[in-house]
Amino acid sequence: MRRPDLDRREFIKNAAAGTVLVGLGGALYRIAADDLTRKARAEDRSDGRPRLPPGQKVIEKLRDMGGDPGDGEAKNFSLNVHGLVKDPFVLDYAGLLKLPQVKQDLDVHCVTGWSVLGSTFKGVSLATIAEQAGVKKKVRHVIFEAEHGFTANVPYDEAIAPSVMVTYRMNGKPFSKNHGAPVRALIPDLYFWKSAKWLTGIKFVADDEPGYWEVRGYHNHADPWDEERYG
Amino acid sequence: MWETVKKRWRAWLRAIHRDVGYLAVGLTFIYALSGLAINHITDWDPNFTTFEKVSNIEPIDEALDDDAAVRVALDRLHITATPRSTYRAGDELHLQFDNRKIVIIEDQVTDQGASPRFFLRLANWLHYNRGKAAWTYIADAYAILLLYLACSGLFMLKGKLGLRWRGAILVGLGVAVPMVYVVWSGGPEAHNGKKAAVAVPAAEPDEPDEPDESDDEEADDGPPTRPPLPPPKPPTPS
Repeated sequence: MRRPDLDRREFIKNAAAGTVLVGLGGALYRIAADDLTRKARAEDRSDGRPRLPPGQKVIEKLRDMGGDPGDGEAKNFSLNVHGLVKDPFVLDYAGLLKLPQVKQDLDVHCVTGWSVLGSTFKGVSLATIAEQAGVKKKVRHVIFEAEHGFTANVPYDEAIAPSVMVTYRMNGKPFSKNHGAPVRALIPDLYFWKSAKWLTGIKFVADDEPGYWEVRGYHNHADPWDEERYG
Repeated sequence: MWETVKKRWRAWLRAIHRDVGYLAVGLTFIYALSGLAINHITDWDPNFTTFEKVSNIEPIDEALDDDAAVRVALDRLHITATPRSTYRAGDELHLQFDNRKIVIIEDQVTDQGASPRFFLRLANWLHYNRGKAAWTYIADAYAILLLYLACSGLFMLKGKLGLRWRGAILVGLGVAVPMVYVVWSGGPEAHNGKKAAVAVPAAEPDEPDEPDESDDEEADDGPPTRPPLPPPKPPTPS
Protein backbone atom coordinates (compact mmCIF):
# COMPACT_ATOMS: atom_id res chain seq x y z
CA MET A 1 0.00 0.00 0.00
CA ARG A 2 1.31 3.47 -0.90
CA ARG A 3 2.32 5.60 2.11
CA PRO A 4 0.39 8.92 2.17
CA ASP A 5 2.41 12.08 1.38
CA LEU A 6 1.47 13.60 4.71
CA ASP A 7 1.01 11.47 7.82
CA ARG A 8 -1.32 12.35 10.69
CA ARG A 9 1.45 13.57 12.99
CA GLU A 10 2.83 15.90 10.35
CA PHE A 11 -0.63 17.22 9.51
CA ILE A 12 -1.38 18.06 13.16
CA LYS A 13 2.01 19.78 13.55
CA ASN A 14 1.44 21.94 10.46
CA ALA A 15 -2.12 22.78 11.48
CA ALA A 16 -0.98 23.82 14.98
CA ALA A 17 1.85 25.96 13.60
CA GLY A 18 -0.54 27.65 11.15
CA THR A 19 -3.05 28.37 13.92
CA VAL A 20 -0.37 29.92 16.15
CA LEU A 21 0.88 32.12 13.30
CA VAL A 22 -2.61 33.36 12.43
CA GLY A 23 -3.36 33.99 16.11
CA LEU A 24 -0.15 35.94 16.67
CA GLY A 25 -0.74 37.97 13.51
CA GLY A 26 -4.27 38.83 14.64
CA ALA A 27 -3.09 39.82 18.11
CA LEU A 28 -0.31 42.02 16.71
CA TYR A 29 -2.75 43.68 14.32
CA ARG A 30 -5.19 44.46 17.13
CA ILE A 31 -2.49 45.91 19.36
CA ALA A 32 -0.96 48.01 16.58
CA ALA A 33 -4.32 49.27 15.32
CA ASP A 34 -5.62 50.46 18.70
CA ASP A 35 -4.24 53.99 18.65
CA LEU A 36 -7.39 55.52 20.12
CA THR A 37 -7.11 53.45 23.28
CA ARG A 38 -3.40 54.17 23.65
CA LYS A 39 -3.94 57.92 23.34
CA ALA A 40 -6.86 57.91 25.77
CA ARG A 41 -4.82 56.00 28.37
CA ALA A 42 -2.31 58.84 28.42
CA GLU A 43 -4.97 61.46 29.27
CA ASP A 44 -6.49 62.50 32.59
CA ARG A 45 -9.87 64.07 33.33
CA SER A 46 -10.26 67.38 35.12
CA ASP A 47 -11.17 65.47 38.31
CA GLY A 48 -7.78 63.71 38.22
CA ARG A 49 -9.12 60.31 37.19
CA PRO A 50 -7.72 58.73 34.03
CA ARG A 51 -9.83 59.53 30.99
CA LEU A 52 -10.21 55.85 30.15
CA PRO A 53 -11.44 53.62 32.98
CA PRO A 54 -9.61 50.31 33.48
CA GLY A 55 -10.49 47.44 31.17
CA GLN A 56 -11.97 49.70 28.48
CA LYS A 57 -11.12 49.92 24.79
CA VAL A 58 -11.93 53.02 22.75
CA ILE A 59 -14.09 52.62 19.67
CA GLU A 60 -15.36 55.27 17.30
CA LYS A 61 -19.13 54.94 17.58
CA LEU A 62 -21.76 53.40 19.81
CA ARG A 63 -22.29 49.67 19.43
CA ASP A 64 -25.73 48.26 19.06
CA MET A 65 -26.28 45.96 22.00
CA GLY A 66 -29.37 44.22 20.65
CA GLY A 67 -32.73 43.85 22.33
CA ASP A 68 -36.14 44.96 21.19
CA PRO A 69 -36.08 48.70 20.53
CA GLY A 70 -38.78 51.00 21.78
CA ASP A 71 -41.24 52.84 19.58
CA GLY A 72 -38.55 55.30 18.55
CA GLU A 73 -40.88 58.00 17.21
CA ALA A 74 -40.63 61.52 18.59
CA LYS A 75 -44.34 61.98 17.88
CA ASN A 76 -45.22 59.31 20.46
CA PHE A 77 -42.64 60.34 23.06
CA SER A 78 -43.89 61.01 26.56
CA LEU A 79 -41.75 61.50 29.67
CA ASN A 80 -43.47 61.02 33.00
CA VAL A 81 -41.65 62.89 35.78
CA HIS A 82 -43.06 61.62 39.06
CA GLY A 83 -42.41 60.17 42.50
CA LEU A 84 -41.47 62.31 45.48
CA VAL A 85 -41.95 65.63 43.73
CA LYS A 86 -44.18 68.60 44.42
CA ASP A 87 -45.21 69.11 40.79
CA PRO A 88 -45.21 65.89 38.77
CA PHE A 89 -45.52 66.52 35.05
CA VAL A 90 -45.55 64.79 31.68
CA LEU A 91 -43.43 66.11 28.85
CA ASP A 92 -43.86 65.47 25.16
CA TYR A 93 -41.01 65.84 22.67
CA ALA A 94 -41.88 69.44 21.77
CA GLY A 95 -42.05 70.26 25.50
CA LEU A 96 -38.61 68.75 26.05
CA LEU A 97 -37.17 70.93 23.29
CA LYS A 98 -38.64 74.03 24.96
CA LEU A 99 -36.81 73.47 28.27
CA PRO A 100 -33.37 75.08 28.78
CA GLN A 101 -30.96 73.13 26.57
CA VAL A 102 -27.41 72.00 27.27
CA LYS A 103 -24.74 70.74 24.90
CA GLN A 104 -21.78 68.83 26.35
CA ASP A 105 -18.80 66.84 25.12
CA LEU A 106 -18.85 63.62 27.11
CA ASP A 107 -17.36 60.11 27.23
CA VAL A 108 -19.45 56.97 27.67
CA HIS A 109 -18.27 53.57 28.91
CA CYS A 110 -20.03 50.27 28.27
CA VAL A 111 -19.81 47.46 30.81
CA THR A 112 -18.87 45.07 27.98
CA GLY A 113 -15.57 46.93 27.61
CA TRP A 114 -15.95 49.62 24.97
CA SER A 115 -15.85 53.38 25.40
CA VAL A 116 -16.78 56.19 23.02
CA LEU A 117 -15.00 59.44 23.82
CA GLY A 118 -15.75 63.10 23.24
CA SER A 119 -19.19 62.92 21.63
CA THR A 120 -21.36 66.03 21.76
CA PHE A 121 -24.71 65.38 23.40
CA LYS A 122 -27.61 67.82 23.37
CA GLY A 123 -30.54 67.69 25.73
CA VAL A 124 -31.88 68.86 29.05
CA SER A 125 -29.95 68.61 32.28
CA LEU A 126 -31.54 66.29 34.82
CA ALA A 127 -31.04 68.98 37.44
CA THR A 128 -33.35 71.25 35.40
CA ILE A 129 -36.03 68.56 35.32
CA ALA A 130 -35.60 67.91 39.04
CA GLU A 131 -35.90 71.61 39.76
CA GLN A 132 -39.03 71.98 37.64
CA ALA A 133 -40.63 69.00 39.39
CA GLY A 134 -39.73 70.31 42.86
CA VAL A 135 -37.93 67.29 44.27
CA LYS A 136 -38.68 66.67 47.93
CA LYS A 137 -36.00 66.52 50.58
CA LYS A 138 -36.52 62.78 51.16
CA VAL A 139 -35.30 61.87 47.70
CA ARG A 140 -32.12 59.78 47.61
CA HIS A 141 -32.39 57.96 44.28
CA VAL A 142 -33.57 58.49 40.74
CA ILE A 143 -35.14 55.67 38.75
CA PHE A 144 -34.93 55.99 34.99
CA GLU A 145 -37.85 54.18 33.39
CA ALA A 146 -37.90 53.00 29.80
CA GLU A 147 -39.85 50.99 27.26
CA HIS A 148 -40.56 47.30 28.01
CA GLY A 149 -40.47 48.02 31.75
CA PHE A 150 -36.71 48.59 31.85
CA THR A 151 -35.44 50.58 34.83
CA ALA A 152 -32.04 51.81 36.02
CA ASN A 153 -31.33 53.27 39.45
CA VAL A 154 -28.89 56.11 40.15
CA PRO A 155 -28.13 57.85 43.47
CA TYR A 156 -29.77 61.28 43.45
CA ASP A 157 -26.56 63.19 44.20
CA GLU A 158 -24.95 61.64 41.13
CA ALA A 159 -28.05 62.05 38.96
CA ILE A 160 -28.09 65.81 39.39
CA ALA A 161 -24.42 66.21 38.46
CA PRO A 162 -24.00 68.78 35.65
CA SER A 163 -23.06 66.09 33.13
CA VAL A 164 -26.25 64.05 33.61
CA MET A 165 -28.93 64.77 31.09
CA VAL A 166 -31.90 63.60 29.11
CA THR A 167 -30.56 63.64 25.57
CA TYR A 168 -31.99 63.48 22.07
CA ARG A 169 -28.99 64.32 19.88
CA MET A 170 -25.47 62.94 19.62
CA ASN A 171 -22.94 64.73 17.43
CA GLY A 172 -25.70 66.84 15.92
CA LYS A 173 -27.77 63.85 14.84
CA PRO A 174 -30.86 62.28 16.38
CA PHE A 175 -30.40 58.87 18.00
CA SER A 176 -31.23 55.95 15.78
CA LYS A 177 -33.93 53.59 16.98
CA ASN A 178 -31.46 50.97 18.21
CA HIS A 179 -29.59 53.57 20.27
CA GLY A 180 -32.61 54.79 22.19
CA ALA A 181 -34.52 57.17 19.93
CA PRO A 182 -36.09 59.53 20.40
CA VAL A 183 -34.79 60.27 23.91
CA ARG A 184 -32.44 58.46 26.26
CA ALA A 185 -30.91 59.17 29.64
CA LEU A 186 -27.20 59.96 29.88
CA ILE A 187 -25.20 59.34 33.04
CA PRO A 188 -21.68 59.45 31.63
CA ASP A 189 -19.81 58.64 34.83
CA LEU A 190 -21.56 55.30 35.31
CA TYR A 191 -21.55 52.30 32.99
CA PHE A 192 -23.70 53.00 29.99
CA TRP A 193 -26.55 50.58 30.83
CA LYS A 194 -27.61 53.14 33.45
CA SER A 195 -28.24 55.59 30.58
CA ALA A 196 -31.62 54.05 29.79
CA LYS A 197 -32.60 54.03 26.12
CA TRP A 198 -36.18 54.71 24.98
CA LEU A 199 -36.79 56.78 28.10
CA THR A 200 -40.38 57.00 29.32
CA GLY A 201 -40.11 58.22 32.89
CA ILE A 202 -38.02 59.66 35.68
CA LYS A 203 -39.05 58.73 39.19
CA PHE A 204 -37.61 60.34 42.30
CA VAL A 205 -37.64 58.01 45.30
CA ALA A 206 -36.42 57.82 48.89
CA ASP A 207 -35.36 54.17 48.92
CA ASP A 208 -33.29 52.45 46.30
CA GLU A 209 -35.05 50.31 43.71
CA PRO A 210 -32.43 48.20 41.91
CA GLY A 211 -33.16 48.21 38.20
CA TYR A 212 -33.47 45.61 35.47
CA TRP A 213 -29.81 44.64 35.15
CA GLU A 214 -29.02 45.40 38.79
CA VAL A 215 -31.30 42.56 39.95
CA ARG A 216 -29.77 40.29 37.31
CA GLY A 217 -26.23 40.28 38.63
CA TYR A 218 -24.88 43.62 37.49
CA HIS A 219 -23.49 46.09 39.98
CA ASN A 220 -25.94 48.36 41.76
CA HIS A 221 -23.73 51.41 41.39
CA ALA A 222 -21.67 50.77 38.21
CA ASP A 223 -18.67 53.11 38.54
CA PRO A 224 -16.36 52.35 35.57
CA TRP A 225 -13.24 53.62 37.36
CA ASP A 226 -13.79 51.05 40.11
CA GLU A 227 -14.81 48.44 37.55
CA GLU A 228 -18.12 47.93 39.29
CA ARG A 229 -19.37 45.62 36.58
CA TYR A 230 -21.00 42.79 38.50
CA GLY A 231 -22.71 42.72 41.85
CA MET B 1 -27.63 -10.13 31.29
CA TRP B 2 -24.91 -8.60 33.43
CA GLU B 3 -22.34 -10.38 31.24
CA THR B 4 -23.83 -8.76 28.13
CA VAL B 5 -23.73 -5.34 29.76
CA LYS B 6 -20.09 -5.88 30.74
CA LYS B 7 -19.19 -6.88 27.19
CA ARG B 8 -21.29 -4.37 25.27
CA TRP B 9 -21.49 -1.19 27.39
CA ARG B 10 -18.80 0.64 25.49
CA ALA B 11 -20.44 -0.13 22.15
CA TRP B 12 -23.80 1.06 23.50
CA LEU B 13 -22.17 4.20 24.85
CA ARG B 14 -20.72 4.92 21.40
CA ALA B 15 -24.05 4.27 19.67
CA ILE B 16 -25.93 6.60 22.02
CA HIS B 17 -23.11 9.17 21.77
CA ARG B 18 -23.49 9.09 17.99
CA ASP B 19 -27.28 9.57 18.08
CA VAL B 20 -27.16 12.26 20.76
CA GLY B 21 -24.50 13.97 18.65
CA TYR B 22 -26.83 13.97 15.65
CA LEU B 23 -29.62 15.35 17.81
CA ALA B 24 -27.42 18.13 19.15
CA VAL B 25 -26.18 19.36 15.77
CA GLY B 26 -28.95 21.95 15.19
CA LEU B 27 -28.75 23.50 18.64
CA THR B 28 -24.95 23.39 18.64
CA PHE B 29 -24.91 25.46 15.45
CA ILE B 30 -27.34 27.95 16.99
CA TYR B 31 -25.45 28.31 20.27
CA ALA B 32 -21.96 28.21 18.78
CA LEU B 33 -22.57 30.68 15.94
CA SER B 34 -24.56 32.99 18.17
CA GLY B 35 -21.83 32.65 20.82
CA LEU B 36 -19.20 33.75 18.33
CA ALA B 37 -21.42 36.62 17.22
CA ILE B 38 -22.19 37.85 20.73
CA ASN B 39 -18.64 37.32 21.97
CA HIS B 40 -17.48 39.98 19.53
CA ILE B 41 -20.32 42.39 20.16
CA THR B 42 -17.81 45.20 20.66
CA ASP B 43 -16.63 44.75 17.08
CA TRP B 44 -19.90 44.48 15.20
CA ASP B 45 -23.65 44.45 15.51
CA PRO B 46 -24.70 40.79 15.70
CA ASN B 47 -28.42 41.49 15.34
CA PHE B 48 -28.99 44.20 12.76
CA THR B 49 -27.49 45.70 9.68
CA THR B 50 -27.94 49.42 10.06
CA PHE B 51 -27.34 52.44 7.92
CA GLU B 52 -27.07 56.15 8.59
CA LYS B 53 -26.60 58.76 5.90
CA VAL B 54 -26.17 62.45 6.55
CA SER B 55 -26.73 65.03 3.81
CA ASN B 56 -27.81 68.63 3.43
CA ILE B 57 -30.76 70.35 1.81
CA GLU B 58 -32.00 73.90 1.61
CA PRO B 59 -33.60 74.64 5.01
CA ILE B 60 -37.38 74.44 5.17
CA ASP B 61 -39.15 77.71 5.78
CA GLU B 62 -40.25 77.84 9.42
CA ALA B 63 -43.34 79.81 8.45
CA LEU B 64 -44.78 76.88 6.49
CA ASP B 65 -47.48 74.85 8.20
CA ASP B 66 -46.66 71.22 9.04
CA ASP B 67 -48.28 69.63 5.97
CA ALA B 68 -46.61 72.08 3.62
CA ALA B 69 -43.24 71.57 5.34
CA VAL B 70 -43.56 67.80 4.84
CA ARG B 71 -44.46 68.25 1.16
CA VAL B 72 -41.47 70.55 0.61
CA ALA B 73 -39.14 68.16 2.46
CA LEU B 74 -40.25 65.14 0.44
CA ASP B 75 -39.89 67.15 -2.74
CA ARG B 76 -36.37 68.32 -1.86
CA LEU B 77 -35.36 64.79 -0.87
CA HIS B 78 -36.88 63.35 -4.09
CA ILE B 79 -38.94 60.88 -2.06
CA THR B 80 -42.18 59.72 -3.63
CA ALA B 81 -43.24 57.29 -0.88
CA THR B 82 -45.72 58.55 1.70
CA PRO B 83 -44.33 58.62 5.26
CA ARG B 84 -46.12 56.43 7.79
CA SER B 85 -46.12 59.41 10.14
CA THR B 86 -44.66 62.89 10.35
CA TYR B 87 -43.85 65.19 13.26
CA ARG B 88 -42.48 68.66 13.67
CA ALA B 89 -41.05 70.11 16.87
CA GLY B 90 -38.59 72.95 17.41
CA ASP B 91 -36.14 72.96 14.52
CA GLU B 92 -36.78 69.28 13.70
CA LEU B 93 -38.97 67.62 11.08
CA HIS B 94 -39.39 63.85 11.40
CA LEU B 95 -40.50 61.63 8.52
CA GLN B 96 -41.16 58.05 9.59
CA PHE B 97 -41.23 55.20 7.09
CA ASP B 98 -41.20 51.45 7.70
CA ASN B 99 -37.67 50.54 8.92
CA ARG B 100 -36.45 54.02 8.00
CA LYS B 101 -36.51 57.42 9.71
CA ILE B 102 -35.51 60.77 8.26
CA VAL B 103 -34.93 63.72 10.57
CA ILE B 104 -34.32 67.18 9.14
CA ILE B 105 -32.65 69.63 11.50
CA GLU B 106 -32.33 73.01 9.78
CA ASP B 107 -30.33 72.08 6.66
CA GLN B 108 -29.07 68.69 7.87
CA VAL B 109 -30.82 65.46 6.85
CA THR B 110 -30.18 62.28 8.85
CA ASP B 111 -31.49 59.16 7.20
CA GLN B 112 -31.40 56.12 9.50
CA GLY B 113 -32.62 52.56 9.23
CA ALA B 114 -32.04 49.00 10.32
CA SER B 115 -32.91 45.55 9.12
CA PRO B 116 -32.45 42.38 11.16
CA ARG B 117 -29.83 39.76 10.27
CA PHE B 118 -32.06 36.80 9.50
CA PHE B 119 -30.26 33.84 11.10
CA LEU B 120 -28.22 35.59 13.78
CA ARG B 121 -31.07 37.69 15.15
CA LEU B 122 -33.09 34.51 15.73
CA ALA B 123 -30.08 32.57 17.04
CA ASN B 124 -29.14 35.38 19.44
CA TRP B 125 -32.72 35.64 20.59
CA LEU B 126 -32.72 31.94 21.40
CA HIS B 127 -29.23 32.08 22.93
CA TYR B 128 -30.21 34.90 25.29
CA ASN B 129 -33.47 33.04 25.99
CA ARG B 130 -35.36 36.29 25.52
CA GLY B 131 -38.56 34.44 24.68
CA LYS B 132 -38.43 32.41 27.93
CA ALA B 133 -41.42 30.04 28.24
CA ALA B 134 -40.69 26.54 26.85
CA TRP B 135 -37.26 27.50 25.52
CA THR B 136 -35.86 27.34 29.05
CA TYR B 137 -36.67 23.61 29.14
CA ILE B 138 -35.31 23.03 25.64
CA ALA B 139 -32.07 24.79 26.60
CA ASP B 140 -31.91 22.71 29.80
CA ALA B 141 -32.39 19.52 27.80
CA TYR B 142 -29.66 20.58 25.39
CA ALA B 143 -27.28 21.28 28.27
CA ILE B 144 -27.98 17.79 29.64
CA LEU B 145 -27.31 16.29 26.20
CA LEU B 146 -23.99 18.13 26.08
CA LEU B 147 -23.10 16.76 29.50
CA TYR B 148 -23.92 13.28 28.24
CA LEU B 149 -21.71 13.82 25.19
CA ALA B 150 -18.85 14.97 27.40
CA CYS B 151 -19.18 12.09 29.87
CA SER B 152 -19.74 9.36 27.29
CA GLY B 153 -16.84 10.74 25.25
CA LEU B 154 -14.53 9.99 28.18
CA PHE B 155 -15.25 6.27 28.04
CA MET B 156 -15.86 5.59 24.36
CA LEU B 157 -12.36 4.26 23.73
CA LYS B 158 -10.21 2.13 25.98
CA GLY B 159 -6.46 1.77 26.30
CA LYS B 160 -3.81 4.23 25.12
CA LEU B 161 -6.22 6.25 23.01
CA GLY B 162 -8.65 6.44 25.94
CA LEU B 163 -8.27 7.68 29.48
CA ARG B 164 -5.09 5.67 30.05
CA TRP B 165 -2.94 8.04 28.02
CA ARG B 166 -4.00 10.40 25.19
CA GLY B 167 -7.51 10.94 26.61
CA ALA B 168 -6.17 11.74 30.08
CA ILE B 169 -3.70 14.29 28.73
CA LEU B 170 -6.26 16.06 26.55
CA VAL B 171 -8.93 16.05 29.29
CA GLY B 172 -6.35 17.45 31.71
CA LEU B 173 -5.46 20.15 29.23
CA GLY B 174 -9.11 21.04 28.69
CA VAL B 175 -9.74 21.32 32.42
CA ALA B 176 -6.50 23.22 33.01
CA VAL B 177 -7.29 26.00 30.50
CA PRO B 178 -10.20 27.56 32.48
CA MET B 179 -8.45 26.91 35.80
CA VAL B 180 -5.23 28.61 34.71
CA TYR B 181 -7.23 31.50 33.25
CA VAL B 182 -9.13 32.04 36.51
CA VAL B 183 -5.89 32.01 38.52
CA TRP B 184 -4.07 34.23 36.01
CA SER B 185 -6.91 36.78 35.69
CA GLY B 186 -7.73 36.86 39.40
CA GLY B 187 -11.24 35.45 38.83
CA PRO B 188 -14.54 37.20 39.47
CA GLU B 189 -13.36 39.00 42.59
CA ALA B 190 -10.68 40.88 40.65
CA HIS B 191 -13.31 42.02 38.15
CA ASN B 192 -16.01 42.99 40.60
CA GLY B 193 -14.49 46.33 41.40
CA LYS B 194 -12.38 47.34 44.31
CA LYS B 195 -15.17 48.61 46.47
CA ALA B 196 -18.69 47.60 47.26
CA ALA B 197 -21.62 49.57 45.99
CA VAL B 198 -21.55 53.13 47.20
CA ALA B 199 -23.55 53.37 50.36
CA VAL B 200 -26.27 55.89 49.78
CA PRO B 201 -27.80 57.12 53.00
CA ALA B 202 -31.35 56.00 53.51
CA ALA B 203 -34.05 58.60 53.57
CA GLU B 204 -34.32 60.47 56.79
CA PRO B 205 -37.72 59.38 58.06
CA ASP B 206 -38.22 62.17 60.52
CA GLU B 207 -37.46 64.93 58.10
CA PRO B 208 -40.61 66.99 57.81
CA ASP B 209 -41.77 67.80 54.33
CA GLU B 210 -44.31 70.37 53.35
CA PRO B 211 -47.64 68.59 53.38
CA ASP B 212 -49.29 68.58 50.01
CA GLU B 213 -51.35 66.32 47.81
CA SER B 214 -48.51 64.40 46.24
CA ASP B 215 -47.05 63.69 49.68
CA ASP B 216 -50.31 62.10 50.75
CA GLU B 217 -50.40 59.97 47.64
CA GLU B 218 -46.94 58.65 48.37
CA ALA B 219 -47.87 57.89 51.98
CA ASP B 220 -50.84 55.84 50.79
CA ASP B 221 -48.59 53.75 48.62
CA GLY B 222 -46.83 52.27 51.64
CA PRO B 223 -43.11 51.53 51.69
CA PRO B 224 -41.44 51.43 48.30
CA THR B 225 -40.95 47.90 47.10
CA ARG B 226 -38.82 46.38 44.37
CA PRO B 227 -40.80 46.63 41.14
CA PRO B 228 -41.97 43.45 39.45
CA LEU B 229 -39.48 42.05 36.95
CA PRO B 230 -40.08 43.48 33.52
CA PRO B 231 -40.29 41.27 30.47
CA PRO B 232 -36.83 40.23 29.27
CA LYS B 233 -36.58 42.52 26.28
CA PRO B 234 -34.00 45.21 27.01
CA PRO B 235 -30.67 45.06 25.26
CA THR B 236 -27.48 43.59 26.55
CA PRO B 237 -26.27 45.97 29.24
CA SER B 238 -24.06 48.61 27.75
